[in-house]
Amino acid sequence: MLVCLSGALATWTGGRKPVVGWIAFATVVVSSLLVMAGVGSVLMFGPGEPVTCLEVPSLGFALRLHVDGLSAVFLALIATVAIPAALYSIEYMQHHLEHGKGRYYPDFLMFITAMYGLVSTTDMMWFFFIFWQMMTLAGYTLIRFDPMNPGRLRAAKKFMIMMQIACAVSMIGAQLLVNASGPSSIPPMFRYDFGNISGHLPMLLLKHPGTVATALALFFVGFGIKMGMWPFGQIWLPDAHPAAPSPVSAMLSGVMIKTGVYGLMRCFLWLVPAKACVDYPVHYWGVVVMLLGTITLFTGTVQALRQDLSKRLLAFSTIGQGGYILFGLGVCMTLIGSTDCAVSALGVAAFYGALFHTLNHGVFKSLLFLNAGSVLHATATQDLNKLGGLMRYMPVTAVTALIASFSIAGVPLFSGFASKWGLFTAAIQGNSACRLLPLCAMVAIITSAITLALFIKFFGVMFLSRTSAIVAERTHKHRRLEVGWKMRVPQVVLAFVCVVFGLLPVLPISLIHRAMEGSRHGFGELIASTPPLPSGGWAGLGSMNQEFIYVPVFLAFVLVAMFLVTRRVAKLGGSQRRSAKPWLCGYAREADMHRYRARGFYAELKRYVNWMGGAPRPQTEPVPVSDGK
Amino acid sequence: MKTLLSILGGVANVVIVLLLAPFFQGVLRKITALIQSRQGPPLLQPYFDLLKLLGKEDIESGESPLMQRFAVYLSLASVLTVACLVPMGFAAPMNAAGDVILLIYLLTLCGICTLLAGLAAGSTYSLLGISREMMTMIALEPLFAVAIVVGAVHTQSFRLDTVLNGSVYASTAFPWSGVIMCGVMLLSFQAFVQRVPFDISEAETEIMEGPLMEYSGPKLALFKYAQMAKLVIYSALFVTLFVPWGTGLMFPLGWLVFWAKVSGLVLLVTLVAATHARYRIDQAIRYFAALLAVALVALVLASYGY
Repeated sequence: MLVCLSGALATWTGGRKPVVGWIAFATVVVSSLLVMAGVGSVLMFGPGEPVTCLEVPSLGFALRLHVDGLSAVFLALIATVAIPAALYSIEYMQHHLEHGKGRYYPDFLMFITAMYGLVSTTDMMWFFFIFWQMMTLAGYTLIRFDPMNPGRLRAAKKFMIMMQIACAVSMIGAQLLVNASGPSSIPPMFRYDFGNISGHLPMLLLKHPGTVATALALFFVGFGIKMGMWPFGQIWLPDAHPAAPSPVSAMLSGVMIKTGVYGLMRCFLWLVPAKACVDYPVHYWGVVVMLLGTITLFTGTVQALRQDLSKRLLAFSTIGQGGYILFGLGVCMTLIGSTDCAVSALGVAAFYGALFHTLNHGVFKSLLFLNAGSVLHATATQDLNKLGGLMRYMPVTAVTALIASFSIAGVPLFSGFASKWGLFTAAIQGNSACRLLPLCAMVAIITSAITLALFIKFFGVMFLSRTSAIVAERTHKHRRLEVGWKMRVPQVVLAFVCVVFGLLPVLPISLIHRAMEGSRHGFGELIASTPPLPSGGWAGLGSMNQEFIYVPVFLAFVLVAMFLVTRRVAKLGGSQRRSAKPWLCGYAREADMHRYRARGFYAELKRYVNWMGGAPRPQTEPVPVSDGK
Repeated sequence: MKTLLSILGGVANVVIVLLLAPFFQGVLRKITALIQSRQGPPLLQPYFDLLKLLGKEDIESGESPLMQRFAVYLSLASVLTVACLVPMGFAAPMNAAGDVILLIYLLTLCGICTLLAGLAAGSTYSLLGISREMMTMIALEPLFAVAIVVGAVHTQSFRLDTVLNGSVYASTAFPWSGVIMCGVMLLSFQAFVQRVPFDISEAETEIMEGPLMEYSGPKLALFKYAQMAKLVIYSALFVTLFVPWGTGLMFPLGWLVFWAKVSGLVLLVTLVAATHARYRIDQAIRYFAALLAVALVALVLASYGY
């Protein structure tokens, strides 16, 4: 496994305090490429044996790394997002010179290393603890890094406390399982090994089902805190993500949250060995997870609707999208335990949807945070009320933000739609196994309309609308607002991934399938042996009996054809184009006072959802008085 | 052969929608005028309006004219794409491209284009209008989705031709859910086709056509065209979902029956529009929320097989 090597490499340079960001970038690229190579070899040749890197028998622990299919998927995601984020950091962090970069890059690298470690370790106690702490401490310093942000200290503390609780809770869960399984012949340093715990479970499920349930509940809470599940997510996530510098927010929101998803998938689907599945009440756990997922996705998104700070809005929507992933996992668990072959196949389809949405969310949410970062970099504000008309000045950022917004809002032909489509079809068809499923799916569909409203506001108010006073002033001062190429390239790359995943969903789906074939443990066996949504004609998705089908390439072809037709029709009359100022009853000069601000959007609707909570602004920041004066 | 047929069917649907949409608009205007004791324009007036607008000067007011153009072209293009997915007297032409979930989301795409166009125009009135339009969409999209999902739950299928064929009544017991959804959709249908009393986002008399306010010439023509086409497509969808009787007849007969039903629905829309006053947006939201609650009850009934 090359992963150990790359992880070590990243840590090593991380400790060395690189003078410039380029070294950090090069480190990230090298380590990511090595990780990618490792992932590639897992995909091609199947997983290798667990590697024991570091053994300290006297203290009773050993570092055992093992990359199987599931880890490979998450490693690939981390590596894909880490490279653009590192490149983006170089220019973005320049105006933080006064605080010295030495404090930023080592932490950044450490953070990435910790995540690589966390998804590939098999040890559920000590190394889980060490990697988790590495990630938390690095995250803590990164969140409190930005000196211009007044709320950062409080946010960082909250992050720290919640992560420690999560860590403690998960470790208690692991300890419970190990204690209950009694003495064993395995050397103590492998006592907390994943395989070992898993091996004892069938016996435990029979003898102490209560203990196992408690342990699973503890894991659920621990990883739920990490991935921002309701009600824990609302405590730390919306403060921590906006406080960090933007590339870090992208990593936090796009990738770090996903380690929670990884933990949940591991515990609920992979931990229990296949032969003990009969005693494992996966159906009921699934219903619980699904209901919590539904609550999370609805509350997170509705609260996001009330925000008018760009990065805070994105943070709340991260909770909402995390809810979709949780919902997908819940649907999968509800259906997968069924003895009916068709129903469990639907469960597998939901699993693919959830994992695909995890990848998609990682890509488009980090892109959105980078977009918000570019705007923050260019205009020095993240207050949506003060922004407007940036599309003319920042075309690249605007177009990439549009692609990301379309993806997250589930517009057909973009990546978010493909994964949500998988979730919805599986949930609605699984009606026979659980009567609640269509209702929850409907809540998810309503929420996706709210997500659309959210991102129409996010994109429209920043990039369209009318040029605001602050933007006009900045353009006057700086001549050009668009960020430099080091910040543009990462955005373009991520946007490209969104489009490719949207048009050819077969690509990631078959990759995931490939990975799952190398991850046969517990329900992984079932997932690996059930073919995913096989491709319909023209590289689309569909079920075996064609009861549900989605062929984006065909659709794109029709849409483009229609687009050309309408364009031709518009030119038939040979009319002349002329540009003019919008009409404002003759008060065009006072335009800035008459701008329709972000606060005004959906006012009537927001009034009805006030009780859902989610204060529009953190308390630490003073509410500005009316800026018209 | 199958591909060729589906392409031909798609083209046929698009052409029919494009040809018939202004005619229905003409009927609508004429009848409204008659109800209000006016003479009213000739039936073919909308065709002339569109042709004339195509030649008029095209004034672009926004910060990003490219975005304006893109949004306008895409709005009609997405409506026409939906036209390829809906069965209009024959089977749905593009059955192989997607299912009903795609249909739900494609219908929102038409709305999104209007929103983007309104935002790009940069007028305060446009922004006011799109804020209202979006709030309406949040309530309406789920209503339509519930209707479709009720059908999908009954038939255990997502295929366009299976669901868009009166599937809401396809339960084994008495189809309570289908009947309830039919009522709900009838009560909210004016909002789907953006007519009085739910044309809140355009509201000529208060915010001067909202999102469309800054548009002129060919762009306005395309928007108007898209709106007229929407009336036809939504009526067709309603008919295929809730009034499926008589579609299985022989070629000219079934086809005629289908379009007769669509005309009937358009007539109903006109009557309601001509005799009602516009709601305020907060009233409308409360109204839709109540309908949505009823719809969710219908969905629960459907999942229990009623």
